[in-house]
Amino acid sequence: MSKPEFVYVTYIETTPEKLWEALTSSEFTRRYWWDTSIVSDWKVGSSFKLVTNGIDTDDGEVLEVDPPRRLSYTFHHLVDERAKQERPSRVTFVLEPAGKLVKLTLTHEDFGPGSVLLDGISKGWPAILSSLKSMLESGTALAIPLSSLGIEGVS
Amino acid sequence: MSESEFVYVIYIQSTPEKIWQALIDPEMTKEFWGRYRNRSDWKPGSEWRHQNYDDDKDVAVAGTVVESDPPRRLVLTWARPDDADVSRVAFDIDEVMGSARLTVTHSELSAAMLQRISAGWPPVLSSLKSLLETGASLPMTRRQWKKAG
Repeated sequence: MSKPEFVYVTYIETTPEKLWEALTSSEFTRRYWWDTSIVSDWKVGSSFKLVTNGIDTDDGEVLEVDPPRRLSYTFHHLVDERAKQERPSRVTFVLEPAGKLVKLTLTHEDFGPGSVLLDGISKGWPAILSSLKSMLESGTALAIPLSSLGIEGVS
Repeated sequence: MSESEFVYVIYIQSTPEKIWQALIDPEMTKEFWGRYRNRSDWKPGSEWRHQNYDDDKDVAVAGTVVESDPPRRLVLTWARPDDADVSRVAFDIDEVMGSARLTVTHSELSAAMLQRISAGWPPVLSSLKSLLETGASLPMTRRQWKKAG
């Protein structure tokens, strides 16, 4: 029986510094993350939040900041009625140089049994990170509608 | 116990036809799959081989074509030579509002195989995406490397 977590590894032709900035700066997240701003001062213990169309969709606390190698924060969803009742989960990004590439490992873990959010983020992260890779490599993010991901409750 | 499954979803600014082509055209596959190619007539029931582009006798993986519905779905059995461990790989390619989504489901995996292929699929599929979007695959994947499989 595996523990409930989502892990995604991707390789991107970029530098760790550029990738770090893309993960932590609204100037970039708005381009590949469904026009979402990511708001934080990125100090350990500070809060962070995701804001889309003026609505806070998720928030949490910054746990680890080691630029440009490792970033971790707790994650609490604020919109979906069932998902927002779940305990905070944890997101960790590890950035490892691999020649001219960066290996990015995303781990989203600490879900309770029967988590609804786990299903949603398992569908969301591949789209977000695919779009991020396209933005960094080709200059253009993908235009994948959130509604096309098959996430329950998201139309 | 061969119950584990590995699922990898990647969105690519391309078409299902081009993604299908990348998986079966040796000139493309060698660019993102460590200079290996996939060889078959791709008819259900036929054999397929994952072999060295430069050496037909160097076969890393082989199996049978279970389903073939170009460019939407391809299902293969998967086994290393002289290995009793047989797993199964499904490629599902969907068009998603002007982009494409490739879902690779590698199932019926032993614990050892799960570990190996979990490390192998991300660089191969990341490189396939780079090849189709930028015209160049990821450099480290153009040459043979010690691959999972």
